[in-house]
Amino acid sequence: MNRILQVTTILFVIAMVVSGCATPAAPTQAPAPAATEPPAAPAATTAPQQPAAAEPVTMDFVVWSYGIDTIKDNIANFEKMYPNITINLKDYSWLDYHDTMVAAFAANNPPYLLYGSDHWLYEWASAEWLAPLDQYCPNTADYSKELAPYALTGMTYNGHVYGLSYYADTTDFMYNDALLQKAGITVPPASLDDIYNQAKELKAKGVNEYPIIFAWSQKEGAFPEAWTSLVFAQHEGGNAMFDANLNPVFNQEGSAAYQVMEWLRKVYSEGLMDPASLSTAEIDQIKSMQAGAHTFTIAPQYNMAELNKPGSGDFAGKFKIALMPGPSHSDVGYARFYAMTPKVVEGGPAYIDAACKFMDYFGGKTDGDYKVVKRWAVENGLGFAQLPLYQDQAVIDAFSKWGDVPTIKAQALKARAKEGMTPWYGSWDTFARAEIHKGILGEETTMKALQNMADKWNELKASGG
Amino acid sequence: MSTTVSSAAGTAKRRGNSNGSRGSLFSYASITPALLVIALFTIYPVFYAIRISLFQYILTKPKSHPFIGLKNFQEVVTSYYFKDAVINSVVYTIAAVTGVMLFGLMVALLLNSKIRTVTLLKVLILLPWAIPAVVAGLMWKWILNSDFGILNGILYSLGVVRSYIPFLADPVLARLSLVLAHVWKEGPLAAIFILAGLQLIPNEFYEAARIDGGGSLRVFRFITLPLLRPILLVVLVYETMSAILTFDIVYVLTGGGPGDSTSLLSWFAYAEIYKFLNLGGGIALSIIIALITLMLIFLYMRALRTEDTIS
Repeated sequence: MNRILQVTTILFVIAMVVSGCATPAAPTQAPAPAATEPPAAPAATTAPQQPAAAEPVTMDFVVWSYGIDTIKDNIANFEKMYPNITINLKDYSWLDYHDTMVAAFAANNPPYLLYGSDHWLYEWASAEWLAPLDQYCPNTADYSKELAPYALTGMTYNGHVYGLSYYADTTDFMYNDALLQKAGITVPPASLDDIYNQAKELKAKGVNEYPIIFAWSQKEGAFPEAWTSLVFAQHEGGNAMFDANLNPVFNQEGSAAYQVMEWLRKVYSEGLMDPASLSTAEIDQIKSMQAGAHTFTIAPQYNMAELNKPGSGDFAGKFKIALMPGPSHSDVGYARFYAMTPKVVEGGPAYIDAACKFMDYFGGKTDGDYKVVKRWAVENGLGFAQLPLYQDQAVIDAFSKWGDVPTIKAQALKARAKEGMTPWYGSWDTFARAEIHKGILGEETTMKALQNMADKWNELKASGG
Repeated sequence: MSTTVSSAAGTAKRRGNSNGSRGSLFSYASITPALLVIALFTIYPVFYAIRISLFQYILTKPKSHPFIGLKNFQEVVTSYYFKDAVINSVVYTIAAVTGVMLFGLMVALLLNSKIRTVTLLKVLILLPWAIPAVVAGLMWKWILNSDFGILNGILYSLGVVRSYIPFLADPVLARLSLVLAHVWKEGPLAAIFILAGLQLIPNEFYEAARIDGGGSLRVFRFITLPLLRPILLVVLVYETMSAILTFDIVYVLTGGGPGDSTSLLSWFAYAEIYKFLNLGGGIALSIIIALITLMLIFLYMRALRTEDTIS
């Protein structure tokens, strides 16, 4: 009996430890074949035309926590238009969104509808966690023609479009004009050297202790976009990170990435960049800028609306965008989009029809107008990929309140999709973030950090992710 | 007569045996429901996890799960992070367990003294332990925030620092911050355990020692500490397990950064699955962590048994 108890105790301890470490053991069940089998095309292409709209359909829609009240209101409006469709909203923190969704997918418990992002698309689509939108919702095909190229690229995998844009934006260089003028500087920086020199001046004159801040905590989703924007700006044309065959080209002395890493080390070691940048998330970054603690930063463009919001602080209205400092002024344009999972397809024609209507309403046009996309732009300052909206007077008026529309548009035209979008990009990105930190902290030389990143890329590429 | 006696003894023995088997059957029947629950919710998942660890289970390749034997274990052990993660975990465990034990001991001694507010203090001291680790992590994240954190605010207003300290962005300070948060979270439970041990020590021992002229330090060294040793060992076992398995505080507070400075083994078990999408690798690493923990528990249990034998 004692032996039985001992064995049970040992097994119990192992169980506690293993299940504690590997909570995801729950998702060990392989995605059911039905969920991952490519859905039958004929049913799909004909489905939206089926008069199945009267059948009651309930779908869950998962988003990251942003503008929840607006989303609820949009859903209410949508449900008024289609009384037979019910949408249940769930939201998770942006910082945890990817991992939460991976757990849901792997546990074969996906939602019907969800937010997606370009940097996860290859990962999720190759795992067959998303259903190709163009295959099931031909009604959305025309929208692609009106999209900025970087956004369309960001939503396309293996020749299929997987979403309709919720918003698309650029990663912009922002500065506090009031602080710059306080230091007697009248022209914003146009190169990395300019930022360095102006930051030194700002520090010397006591305007800021740390004139530069980035939101580069390990978990911050916009970290790779900001870092890559700096790299793109130092490079003319494409292939700043990888060549046409997806071989790394950044791990060479003198490459754009090398220049950026060397510059980052310099501004960090000379106390021009806030050391807290390595643990800062986007919200803290923006609050810190609003408080006037820093003059320069790189962040998604939509933050301009928050930075310049009347009453948001002493510097409201003083924040401006300059083209990304560097010879090419190029930057990263990214797309966040509405997507659907194979669960919709498994639901049958009624679900496909409802999902296509949802996509059309949220990411497309209603009565000839990009109603929801425009609402996000006007009310929240979110960027957009739908080029006709740049001519929309309501959008121009709204953006003019917090930004300089011609500069925003000029930067959008120079924007490029991130390079290296592959199923293994997410894994590599996790590794690369730590290496960039080590390079900035001086724990590794610039070349060592870049070489490690290249080696990891090659390893992942060889194994196909 | 002797035949009668032996016959009676035989009958009694048979009856005893029959009662014994019935009792034993009852015992097994009694624990069966509990065993079934354990089997369903813990033993089965463990064996299932062990099975998964022997297959290639890359989440982005849903249709291909070939059997690869121990390759997941080999890949994890030879991975770029394993050595550093082991070092980080060992350093963290030693620092955290030492911190918790010292904190627990000091607080327990305080609570064992005859101060008036002791009952209130006992309740208050347990509060951090009752707070979920993720919430504790978030609290510490705000306390240690480099731009708005209250700790920086206090240090700055007292003139202790000239500028705000990036607690979570400096590799050394980030490690210390993690240990601090862990001690704050786990220390109270250790204190309550040790306090229970202290209250079991008969007062006569202290009185006798004082009559013999023993000072406070000598009383602590020769009476309190030896008699507390069994409970200290239990706390040590629990806290070591708890430190090795720490994940939630790391996840919330530092996300493993800056660089890999706060990336513990348990963090990489998570990263393997959710970041690298390698389920097999993540579970293999979890099993390695489980084996390390188990080994330590056996060592501690052996030490505990030796203690019992000596006492």
